[in-house]
Amino acid sequence: MPLVDIDLIIGGPQGGGIDSAAQIVIRAFSIAGYEAFGIREYYSNIKGRHSYFHVRVKETPVRSLRYPVDLLVCLDAESPFVHMEDVSDKTIVLYDEDLGNTKIEQVLTMESETKKHVLGKLKEGGFGTTIAGAIDFMKKRGAVPYPVSFRNLVVGALGPNKPPARYANTLGASLAMALMGLPAEFTSGGIVSVFGKKKEVVEENEKIVKSGYEFVKTRNNVNIKELPVREAKERYILTGNEAIGIGKVIGGLKLQTYYPITPAADESFFLEGHDYFEPVMGEDIDKENEVLKNTGVVVVQAEDEIAAIAMAISGAMTGTRTATGTSGPGFSLMAEALGYAGINEVPVVVTLYQRGGPSTGLPTRNSQADLLFAINAGHGEFARIVYSSGDVPEAIDDAIRVFNYAEKFQVPVIHILDKNFANSFFLVDPLDYSKIKIERWKLSENTENFERFKLTEDGISPMGMFGKNIIWLTGDEHSELGHITEDPETRDAMMVKRMGKLNTILREIPEDEQVELIGDKNADVTLLSWGSNKGVILSVFEKLRTEGVKANLVYVKLMNPFPSRLVSKYLSNAKVLIDLENNYTAQLATLVKQNCGIEVKNFILKYNGRHTTDDEVYEGIKRVLDKKENRVVMVRGA
Amino acid sequence: MAHNYRTDLWVDWCPGCGDFGILAALQQSMTEMNKKPEDFAIFSGIGCSAKTPHYINAPGMHTLHGRVIPFASGVKLANPNLTVIADGGDGDLLSIGAGHFVAAGRRNVDMTIIIHNNGVYGLTKGQASPTLARGEKTKGLQRPNILDSLNPVALALTVGYTFVARAFSFDVKNTKDIIMKAVKHRGTSVIDLLQPCPTYNDINTKEWYEQRVYYLDKDPSWDPVVKEATSEASEQKYLQAIQKSLEWGDKIPLGVLYQNDFVPSFGDRIADHISNYFEVPPALSPIINSEGQPVARMEKIFTDRLIKK
Repeated sequence: MPLVDIDLIIGGPQGGGIDSAAQIVIRAFSIAGYEAFGIREYYSNIKGRHSYFHVRVKETPVRSLRYPVDLLVCLDAESPFVHMEDVSDKTIVLYDEDLGNTKIEQVLTMESETKKHVLGKLKEGGFGTTIAGAIDFMKKRGAVPYPVSFRNLVVGALGPNKPPARYANTLGASLAMALMGLPAEFTSGGIVSVFGKKKEVVEENEKIVKSGYEFVKTRNNVNIKELPVREAKERYILTGNEAIGIGKVIGGLKLQTYYPITPAADESFFLEGHDYFEPVMGEDIDKENEVLKNTGVVVVQAEDEIAAIAMAISGAMTGTRTATGTSGPGFSLMAEALGYAGINEVPVVVTLYQRGGPSTGLPTRNSQADLLFAINAGHGEFARIVYSSGDVPEAIDDAIRVFNYAEKFQVPVIHILDKNFANSFFLVDPLDYSKIKIERWKLSENTENFERFKLTEDGISPMGMFGKNIIWLTGDEHSELGHITEDPETRDAMMVKRMGKLNTILREIPEDEQVELIGDKNADVTLLSWGSNKGVILSVFEKLRTEGVKANLVYVKLMNPFPSRLVSKYLSNAKVLIDLENNYTAQLATLVKQNCGIEVKNFILKYNGRHTTDDEVYEGIKRVLDKKENRVVMVRGA
Repeated sequence: MAHNYRTDLWVDWCPGCGDFGILAALQQSMTEMNKKPEDFAIFSGIGCSAKTPHYINAPGMHTLHGRVIPFASGVKLANPNLTVIADGGDGDLLSIGAGHFVAAGRRNVDMTIIIHNNGVYGLTKGQASPTLARGEKTKGLQRPNILDSLNPVALALTVGYTFVARAFSFDVKNTKDIIMKAVKHRGTSVIDLLQPCPTYNDINTKEWYEQRVYYLDKDPSWDPVVKEATSEASEQKYLQAIQKSLEWGDKIPLGVLYQNDFVPSFGDRIADHISNYFEVPPALSPIINSEGQPVARMEKIFTDRLIKK
């Protein structure tokens, strides 16, 4: 068993520096040689509403979170109320004692529905309806309250003229790390790592760290064991959005288009901040080419998602690696153009970050409900690839891979991701470039009558591009030259050419890139899942193994064309098969039934928009195995 | 021999269609520009006018209804060396694609937009387009048009187009001259191209236009070109053009209405930041180095995400 396995929640107002607090925590632990993972939860709001960061720290790689947490840091009045069920007898609850008498009715940021639910629970247990009441609620569960006057500590550190609220985030993070036993020098290291060049900010925050650590020393109600320092390595701290951006840039992205939408826009925003850089051209070229000393990625904020995909499609037809990134509502708008990319066999990448739908739905919350839509969006029938990634390390590789697929097979690729992935933080080792492969289109001699849509055995024609070949593209059915035709025989031939690519794709994409079987070969229980649930499931498997339960995961990445043969093979030996997804209708199970004829009968599902955690997956599997329940709905998360 | 830019397809527009004149003017202007066919990229939306790229022997893209502007912009952004011309119908550009038409004025991508303005949706049997006046009852309508028309020239000026002109498709030579000027302008140029639909618009016919159009450049005092990079200079030409754009009815002015060469094109704005954008544009930028490995490296680009030991 690992010595260190700490779950932490830092909750506070949106815009109150919760992000920085989490960054400080993760960076500080990384510098001390630990592994960390986190997910950010937030409202669709700029300032004031409750957001929180859920982080886990271990000595070994972390890829999931769990409830109850070991440390709950409440930076606002709402946190004690909405997280009061996230604690156990092992939890320290750090809160601002000056807010103790705040009544739930006074917490304006809280939604009335949430207030009603919390009030019900407080009253049921005979607790008061103030923060003190919520603290009592947690005390009854064995949690240890840790009251702190934020105001006193900030005034003590920086004098009376600084607004305490501005430093609540660093103070909360410092107190938390002091309570976890991380030596103060690493917390300061985290501060420097986050605030970097802003000297004044670093100095002020280091004072806050100091006062936090000193305060913890004076209190004896919590037993603190200093964490051993481990050997650290250089690592990158990356969110899912950033991992995709990095993968794209390394893969050769030169034009990215987007229209602002959560949670996709963070990727384009990140790219805009890293769009001009020094390429590594190799010895000879470095010397010769002055003009290539720098290179850029053009990132364009379009007027809407239709324009974004239209620009990306035509840009791709110049031989440029282009992509667009969006989420549900934006993807809905892209449906028509997706068909255009389909009939014109355009190598364009659409990065789709799923969020809660339908319509505006839960705009900042997680979902995996767009899988069938991604596969079917657009009228008519055309070949496309839908490819899924579930965590940051694989996403970097996959973002490169999907460009390769798009160009090699000349099809639009939808890279399907989810909000949990997008807003998760991972620590990643530097890349090994020798393992990265960039594969591009098939080319041919430029002839006088260049046939952009030449009929071939495998359905793939030589790529034609603007600036190089005389090509015609049209959304109409077309001839090999690309001119409109309604000739029935040509129509048949073109349909066979385009749709035939689906077989080419299944034949040529290596099996381990299509679907992975992870875990014990002879398992007692088999899970079927995709996307960001991978880490949680594998983490739960470790626990199951200690109980003598052998488990494996059929982790599907290629969603279209569906790897029916492989999935059938992996599922055919399942003793108990459970589908786990973040949607209501079990869309992956639907795909399996449709493509493999295998009916999944057990489901663990979640659609409340919050991240899936170890405890609820564990409980779900147990309920299926022991209580023979066949549909478990996971409901955790504030 | 000069390239005549004709393909061997049968041009399937109705006899007497105004699109023939636009096609001829385009082909002639392309010949006169004396470029390689591969240097062009011709775009269209949906409808009769949208078949234009297929009839031009140069790279072409027949796109989606309303989306010709973003498609055309994408190619120009990726490869600014290309000469980009976008043909769209009035419904295409001013109704379903109106949002893109407005955004294009703000962006000023170096390309030319030609509005095939005939007042009707021809290919779907003559419904009213955004340029048909209220109360008009063209042949295809059940009742007189109940929507007001919009003014493409005034709209273009208001949203920031840096070159705005009007031409009449039955005057092929003048149309060709205007296209040449529009293409030469560095920024988005738009041409309101009056193009009678002989089948569905029995009001704004060839003869109707011929009785009304006149040429602005016949008047030696007419000067639409902004002469210096000051807001006063552009405002004066802008107001003059707006006033001229209101002239519609008995007299319809043709020619260049506004030209401002001092507004940086979108490409120039990108090059402010990515300084070698024109020398090594996205389409020509290498992504693999001499060792076959990616040229972009994490340790050169994303250092702010690196946690040092």
